[in-house]
Amino acid sequence: MFKPLDPLLHSELRLAIISILLSVEEADFVYLKEQTKSTSGNLSVQIDKLSEAGYIEVKRGFVGKRTRTVCKITRVGIKAFEEYVESLKGYLNLNK
Amino acid sequence: MEEKQLNEKESLELIAQMIRNTQLRIEKGNGIPFLIWGYTTVLVSLAVWYLFSTTGNPNWNYLWFLIPVIGFPAMMWAIRKQEKGVKTYIDTVISYVWIVLGIAGLVVSASAVFLWNLPILFIVVLMMSSGTAITGLIIKFKPIIFSGFAGILLSFLCLIVKGYESILLFALIFLVMMVIPGHILNWKGRSHV
Repeated sequence: MFKPLDPLLHSELRLAIISILLSVEEADFVYLKEQTKSTSGNLSVQIDKLSEAGYIEVKRGFVGKRTRTVCKITRVGIKAFEEYVESLKGYLNLNK
Repeated sequence: MEEKQLNEKESLELIAQMIRNTQLRIEKGNGIPFLIWGYTTVLVSLAVWYLFSTTGNPNWNYLWFLIPVIGFPAMMWAIRKQEKGVKTYIDTVISYVWIVLGIAGLVVSASAVFLWNLPILFIVVLMMSSGTAITGLIIKFKPIIFSGFAGILLSFLCLIVKGYESILLFALIFLVMMVIPGHILNWKGRSHV
């Protein structure tokens, strides 16, 4: 039987954010916006959703006079991502 | 990109694409830290050599402490200016290597000035060239690997050459070990490796 796909990750922008954060130690809002080609408003909403679920950690600080939001994946996020990929493999018959 | 549902295949493609884009972007080389520490060390060494050799006054050796006094704020400035929006695991590992070497270098230099008579130029070159070689291996950049190992070998010359000339030798080794590969790293980046 197929495992259900985590609805929080099975969305284009949230999956993109998690995939980027998985391959780096941390990334800021501007970097994520550039990489995902998303709008600030949408990105902000999706970051909040991932943060509320405990998948990512968000730190807000200042660089000079500018605000800087830095995101980092958590252990919970890594586990959720691994489970999501495992489920995907099941759907795509990649599990041998 | 929007908040849309993907099919399974699209999900896998998106994951692969995001990871690939991130990897490509962080491949760009950055030789600024090598240039800051390299040039600072070379210039301070030349100043110490000139003032010490012309006056014979050993108090000019205190000028060595200009290296961290100039180097650390310059590094902080460069880090802020170069904010690239992303920090990789490689960045963290390299910074830990240099924090440890920097602390050890500062402690051993202070000991040499205030406590014991140590072959400090040899020790510092050996430590910093080891750090350079480790950094080169981590970022897989041949000129940095080569200059690091060259520095390790050249450090032993500091045990052989005595007197004021040893300071000039020290400056020359830093030029070869940090300044030149730092420029190469900036120039070529890591894309060709």
